[in-house]
Amino acid sequence: MNKSQEKLDAARTLVSQCDRCGNCLTVCPLFGSKDLEASSARGKNTILRAMADGVLEPTPEVRAALDFCILCQRCVATCPAKVRTDEAMILARQYLADNAGGPTLKYRFVGSVMRRPLMIRMGALALAVARKLGLNSLAPYGAAPDEYTRTHFLATFSGPGALGTATPPSNVAVHKNSRVAYFKGCGMQILFPEAAAQTMEVLGRVTKPVTRDNVCCGLPHLAHAMEKDFLEMAKENIRQFEDVDVVVSDCASCSGTLKHVGAYFAGDSEWKDRAAAFSAKIMDLTEYLSKSGYVPRQKSGAKITYHDPCHLVRGQGIKKEPRALLAAAGEYTEMKDADMCCGGGGSFFMDYPEISDSVIDKKRKNIEATGADIVVTGCPGCLIQLNKAAKASGKFKALHISQVL
Amino acid sequence: MSISEKIIGQLRDIVGKEHVLTSDLERFGYSYDSSPVELSSSNKPDLVVRPRTTEEVSRVMKIAFEHAIPVTPRGASSGRSGGSIPLHGGIALTLDRMTDILELDKKNMMVTCEAGVRTKDLYDYCAKEGLFYPPDPASWAYSLIGGNVAENAGGMRAVKYGVTANYVMGLEVVMADGAIIHTGGKSIKNVTGYNLTQLIVGSEGTLGIVTKAILRLIPMPAKRGVMQVFFRSLDDGCAAVHDMLQQNIVPSVAELIDDVSLEAIVRQKKTPFDPEAKACLILEVDGPNEASLKQQSDAISKVVADHQAVSFRVAQTQAEADELWAIRRGLSSAVAAMAPNRLGEDISVPRNAFPEAVRRLKEVSRRNGLPIAVFGHAGDGNLHPSVLCDLSNPAEEKLAHHVVGEIFDVALAVGGTLSGEHGIGITKRPYLVKALGEAGVAALKSIKQALDPKGILNPGKIW
Repeated sequence: MNKSQEKLDAARTLVSQCDRCGNCLTVCPLFGSKDLEASSARGKNTILRAMADGVLEPTPEVRAALDFCILCQRCVATCPAKVRTDEAMILARQYLADNAGGPTLKYRFVGSVMRRPLMIRMGALALAVARKLGLNSLAPYGAAPDEYTRTHFLATFSGPGALGTATPPSNVAVHKNSRVAYFKGCGMQILFPEAAAQTMEVLGRVTKPVTRDNVCCGLPHLAHAMEKDFLEMAKENIRQFEDVDVVVSDCASCSGTLKHVGAYFAGDSEWKDRAAAFSAKIMDLTEYLSKSGYVPRQKSGAKITYHDPCHLVRGQGIKKEPRALLAAAGEYTEMKDADMCCGGGGSFFMDYPEISDSVIDKKRKNIEATGADIVVTGCPGCLIQLNKAAKASGKFKALHISQVL
Repeated sequence: MSISEKIIGQLRDIVGKEHVLTSDLERFGYSYDSSPVELSSSNKPDLVVRPRTTEEVSRVMKIAFEHAIPVTPRGASSGRSGGSIPLHGGIALTLDRMTDILELDKKNMMVTCEAGVRTKDLYDYCAKEGLFYPPDPASWAYSLIGGNVAENAGGMRAVKYGVTANYVMGLEVVMADGAIIHTGGKSIKNVTGYNLTQLIVGSEGTLGIVTKAILRLIPMPAKRGVMQVFFRSLDDGCAAVHDMLQQNIVPSVAELIDDVSLEAIVRQKKTPFDPEAKACLILEVDGPNEASLKQQSDAISKVVADHQAVSFRVAQTQAEADELWAIRRGLSSAVAAMAPNRLGEDISVPRNAFPEAVRRLKEVSRRNGLPIAVFGHAGDGNLHPSVLCDLSNPAEEKLAHHVVGEIFDVALAVGGTLSGEHGIGITKRPYLVKALGEAGVAALKSIKQALDPKGILNPGKIW
């Protein structure tokens, strides 16, 4: 049996556990915006099952339907049978790409850019220049967002009343021998370099972080049927971080993906152990900070709310850590449906701008209802969306969590 | 059949262009429900039409009637018997855009809503005003009121509060020819003409299309408590429930779960139960205050002790109570996850026959060598036996369908019936004559003939 058929069979096995009950209809952000059966998790699982069973032909329409999933895992969390719709979609996309002429040109282009660290640096530079010239707002879909910096944040919330009490220095002794590296994610490097620099500064307070010339985590490639590229990049990253004990990422998608690298090499005798060891040392920023007893640099008077990135709350089960850190950094307030996807989903917001806009609009209303000054998150993809919401609202700003800690 | 471009154009003019779906894949989305009926491209409707108002439904039906186009109404497609599958093609008529709650009449304690309101949304809306809409099918978070009415959905609270039919006071129904009728109303006593309201309830979309419902409410009980009891056998659990009811301790929920279903929960939750536990009872009591709950739970703890309960636990926090509910609501899917296929049935028997029915079902399972998980509403005699099987194996498929037949034989032999709350739909059609007799089925058919002379409403269902 060929590998591609194995993917379809694996996907078929996953969705065979779906008994089409309908629980996911209430949580799927896409069904919430476009209430047609094919856009729901149940609809896509059934399409996939029908395709695997020969009831439906793998037409371009089928392919488009299986692409129309943001991989947010909200359905998985609510499903009584815990059907892994996200995994099934990734497997099916790879199968379809292998059998219907590869990933679409657009994804192949993005994929090849993201494989090269130099291209990432050039992208970052280009955006920095564009921001200076005010040209970034011309980029479609808000893909080149404004960056609201820590300096802006402090300037706004550092008045005598707002400053609050200075936090005592962190009293956690970082183990001398514990070598900590920072994983430079593409999204953070290109779109939010100031936030990435803040992450380094925050890390610098509890350890001596090193960086490497790492490559992309490979999630865009995995999501869009370029598994081969993903595996190659994973090997490169494994090599680069072999001599450190902890790899910290400030991007939920990177850490979520890197934690899964081990599973992707489980059947590869040469790479199995190295990959498993690599995944075991990945930590999300908030996970690392709370384990090392980090105390925020200030207790601000700002009212802060938090948006759960899908790849953090469901992808890694990290929910308490960012909230606890934020409660120490400002006046924390919880929003309704904080774990509802923002509609970003990697490049989803560019592929389906109208749906994406309607999803983020619900998020904007929930943020506004809290009366928060700042919405914080731990994922550059979410931050693009939250930035759009902030612009549309005018009532709050969007920041990466490292900028307020 | 194929529907002409001219008719498609007329339908688009009625409901709006984007609310008529014609593409192959979009139509496929409306070809299945939550029953074990196999996916098939021949179940695709020719068109999906998504009206927003009763007026639109009426105009669509006028066209369908004129051209004798089959129409299958559909809500959330969460049904378990194939009721919303467009077996004969034609139009899949979705009611899920009709989502308005129109009036909450607090003085009469009644709510009026459109067919596409989610059951739990309606419950929450009324609860905010201190009013209680009791019917709570396991699917209530996503199933729609129109579907609940058309299938006469039951639920867990039926033991104390009854089923959907007990709360429907009046309906707005679009008939096969597009005429709009209003049955019943807010008057509590009403003998003006035939009781069409109760005829339409549970008619599975074969007599008319429910577009609005007037539903009766009761005051919301101030307090609720949830309990979990494990027994050494299902018989002990059943006997305990019967003792409670005879002693006038009426739990609002009494759900019994057998050993095979318990194993399904263990697999999902990954936490084992006491090995002695072979059956589990989830109970809910309600009342005006904590003292009343305490009195009931004390009385229940005495009754279950008389039946050798292994353990008895009262949920101490809302989170604990929610967890118990989540286990029960997710049970049918957890059981489904145990085998490639699950044929879930819905037999209903006189309450005192519950243990005998379960004994016979286990015997059917043993004799045929296929596992049957049983859970159900011990308080009202409605059981959900699930045959776990692999339908891709032709021999096992044949056996599984034979076992389903035997399950219905068990139900009828102990004085029960084919379906308590899922309806007949497609899956139970072959057994209808056994349950009702030739003359009984002929009587149903004559009603159908009178109200839907062209046979366009949900054809191929019930018989």
